Amino acid sequence: MTNGIGRAASALLTYGLLGLMAFLSVFPFLWMVLGATNSSIDIIKGRVLPGEFLSTNVDKFFTQVNAPLVFWNSAKIAILATVLTLAVSSLAGYGFEIFRSRHRERLYRAMLLTLMIPFAALMIPLFIMMGKAGLINTHIAVVLPTIGSAFVVFYFRQCTKAFPSELRDAAKVDGLKEWQIFLFIYVPVMRSTYAAAFIIVFMTAWNNYLWPLIVLQSNETKTITLVISSLASAYYPDYGVVMVGTVLATLPTLAVFFFMQRQFVQGMLGSVK
Amino acid sequence: MVHARRGSIGRYYDVNGWLFVAPVLGLIGLFMIYPIVWSLWMSFQSGRGMMMKFAGFANIVRLWNDPVFIKALTNTMTYFVVQVPIMIVLALILASILNNPRIVGRGLFRTAIFLPCVTSLVAYSVLFKGMFAPDGVVNSTLATLGVISSPIPWLTHPFWAKVLVIIAITWRWTGYNMIFYLAALQNIDRSIYEVARIDGVPAWARFTHITIPLLKPVILFTTVISTIGTLQLFDEVYNLTEGRGGPSNATLTLSLYIYNLTFRFMPNFGYAATVSYVIVVLVALLAFFQFFAARERDK
Amino acid sequence: MDNLARAYLPRIAGLALASVSFLAVTAAEAKEITIWCWDPNFNVAIMKEAGARYTKTHPDVTFNVVDFAKTDVEQKLQTGLASGTADALPDIVLIEDYGAQKYLQSFPGAFAPLSGTVDYSGFAPYKVEVMTVDGQVYGMPFDSGVTGLYYRKDYLEQAGFKPEDMQNLTWDRFIEIGQQVEEKTGKKMMGLDPNDAGLVRIIMQSAGQWYFDKDGKTNVTGNPALKAALETVGKIMSANIYKPAAGWSDWVGTFTSGDVATVVTGVWITGTVKAQPDQAGKWGVAPIPKLSIDGATQASNLGGSSWYVLESSAEKAEAIDFLNEIYGKDIDFYQKILQDRGAVGSLLAARGGAAYEQADPFFGGEKVWQNFSDWLAKVPSVNYGVFTNEADTAVTAQLPALTQGMPVDDVLKAIDAEVSAQIQ
Repeated sequence: MTNGIGRAASALLTYGLLGLMAFLSVFPFLWMVLGATNSSIDIIKGRVLPGEFLSTNVDKFFTQVNAPLVFWNSAKIAILATVLTLAVSSLAGYGFEIFRSRHRERLYRAMLLTLMIPFAALMIPLFIMMGKAGLINTHIAVVLPTIGSAFVVFYFRQCTKAFPSELRDAAKVDGLKEWQIFLFIYVPVMRSTYAAAFIIVFMTAWNNYLWPLIVLQSNETKTITLVISSLASAYYPDYGVVMVGTVLATLPTLAVFFFMQRQFVQGMLGSVK
Repeated sequence: MVHARRGSIGRYYDVNGWLFVAPVLGLIGLFMIYPIVWSLWMSFQSGRGMMMKFAGFANIVRLWNDPVFIKALTNTMTYFVVQVPIMIVLALILASILNNPRIVGRGLFRTAIFLPCVTSLVAYSVLFKGMFAPDGVVNSTLATLGVISSPIPWLTHPFWAKVLVIIAITWRWTGYNMIFYLAALQNIDRSIYEVARIDGVPAWARFTHITIPLLKPVILFTTVISTIGTLQLFDEVYNLTEGRGGPSNATLTLSLYIYNLTFRFMPNFGYAATVSYVIVVLVALLAFFQFFAARERDK
Repeated sequence: MDNLARAYLPRIAGLALASVSFLAVTAAEAKEITIWCWDPNFNVAIMKEAGARYTKTHPDVTFNVVDFAKTDVEQKLQTGLASGTADALPDIVLIEDYGAQKYLQSFPGAFAPLSGTVDYSGFAPYKVEVMTVDGQVYGMPFDSGVTGLYYRKDYLEQAGFKPEDMQNLTWDRFIEIGQQVEEKTGKKMMGLDPNDAGLVRIIMQSAGQWYFDKDGKTNVTGNPALKAALETVGKIMSANIYKPAAGWSDWVGTFTSGDVATVVTGVWITGTVKAQPDQAGKWGVAPIPKLSIDGATQASNLGGSSWYVLESSAEKAEAIDFLNEIYGKDIDFYQKILQDRGAVGSLLAARGGAAYEQADPFFGGEKVWQNFSDWLAKVPSVNYGVFTNEADTAVTAQLPALTQGMPVDDVLKAIDAEVSAQIQ
């Protein structure tokens, strides 16, 4: 009897906590969508009901912002950064794990130390470098410094530990060269690792803020994150328009997450083995 | 790992190894090592804008006498000391609950709690700023529920502004950490839990005596990552406080101070570089202590 | 592949050369001037108007007015100057007066001196002063931030006050009125953002003082105007006649939503006040209240900015000529931006124009522009120095201590300590 009550209480507690956390996690999304349908003043006044300003806000957003161009800029930067990061990081993760040597092991540890470098310490020198290279206000300048990421290399190396060595041995018997083994065996086998890394790197690149803010000078090169920030810090921000912007900016990352959720969790599994 | 270091096999390993890792090392060298060394050189200079001259250790001396720096350092450490443990513990509890296959709708809960991670730091800061406005949805809800009688000055009171920043970061990152723990938990044989349960070990003890020790490497990993993230905190505070770190510098972080020294105040790149090295040193020390603490407990 | 390349390379090279020379020719014919500024309803729109006027007489010059958030403009300008890369910078940039000396002194040679071209005697002297370094004058004076007390006639009438009662106020009287307004109408007297020392700056400058003296030395502990300004803000806070605002947009929301009875700020806010058509006829404008110390006036300034030409600009000559033709001489342009945007320029001759004489129906037929123009002539001139941002941050940091009852002299000492540590 007491046991039954205890069990019911613990179930209540468990589901109560889960429900509360889930609600708190999702509520800002709901509020953001509702906000897109309300006027600026209603939003600041905390209105949580759907309003009648959706079409007005959307219209204003599309007249104030060259949306197709802005989204194209964001997509271009995010995809380019993701593909390049995945390519060089998986090469390195594979290289560090398969071809171990004392020097490389040392370099690997030194490389992990770069995780500690705050971006704030890099921005002025990086900006001067980009200026000298004539790359200011280009998307290349946004992408280049983000490709070499110790974190993603670390992730790929961790996952490579699960790569079956028999596959490599068999391939070598078949006479495949090292780059062929990597390209035709490792890459397909590690699909889910790539998928998970894709999600993480894509989201980071899509949401990147400070560096694009510094490098991109004209409205023609701006990304959606920059646009939201400047809409929100404008002289007279219209929160309805800002909400439309945040909804539109969040949709792509949300879509990537939902379409690749399974691979994502599988990939995560690999990273902590 | 045993392998021949001499002869053709060794060289073969070497050439291929270097070829695979060279692109990343080149990029990191060019875009991280070179600029950070440059930055170190700058930290020994001082001056206005482009008119910099060698200043020796003057910048380090200046740190001691700079109340704003001390404030930014204290704030950053406060975030770190308060926020990281709250988030890690919360993420661990949620992960161990959701690891139980008997939980109804756990996929849904997991997705919901992870969802904040898809938002950009800028977008969610803007959202939170609106939600926590003086008459905003949070205050009006709390007032309706009878929790508060007058609006909480979230963005205008030094204490509450810090609380808001901590709430915001915790909202954004708890699910992220939880996924790591969930993934790790799924590698643990469930029968251990079953045996413990049958032996009458209560849930709390199962959590502290089985889950936490088994997850230690992952906890360490996430703690280090969170430490680094918290010490570099910028986007949230910048977008919540219109770039000021107010009220009365209560939310100012080291990264934001560096930004202000570079872009808002009379630009002193040398001093800004010195402050950025404080972060480097702090992260290094804390990461070292965390690894050290984890190793000590292993013994 | 090799053959292909060999066969096509000369042709490709030829094409590339041709296109390069084509580009060079067009560049020589059509010059594009890039301009950075920040307020789409104000300086951006005004610059577009100015550009359109210039293009009419100079069809070969076009304009690209880029609209960033103000912090973005400042940050991009500062990074661009620091990196020494000219191609990242525009031809003309808008700089707020508080920051002008900082840029001019930190990056010598970065901005083009206009002393020889522009006749500065025609501009408000305090605007020219902030852009002068070592006798050289840089920049084209633009808008003034002359301050006014905007008040809701309807709320004040409910509380028993007529427009005449609002004209010659002291700050103490202002606070008394505020208490009565709240009693009678339930509305707060004003919005106040505790993260923004703007009100302190307004009150301080109205008595002819600044954070720095004429020589640029810190002027905090012995500054009677700053002390009185802090005391006033402290009284407003302890009388609780203000509605707290979190940030600029929240502050704007306090009066656009009708929650407060007055706004004390720069004239550039007029466009925002008038953007609420349902409040037409309900507003009046009076001079700001006065301190009760020596040298106190009812005129002050908040913000205001000016245009600067980058020395590295490829279109430098055109940019200077453009600014001089439109902002330096075109009286009609100033009438247009006043009527359309509420911009009070600093070209003195523009004040004789018809637009300044007109009554504004939004303000119940008051001649507000004439008033602002009169007050502008009375704004005490101060030296903003190079560290206004730092000093302002220090003041903001101490505002909460003030409300918690710390004696003003101690607050001043704390501000002084922080400023001294910052300005090395």
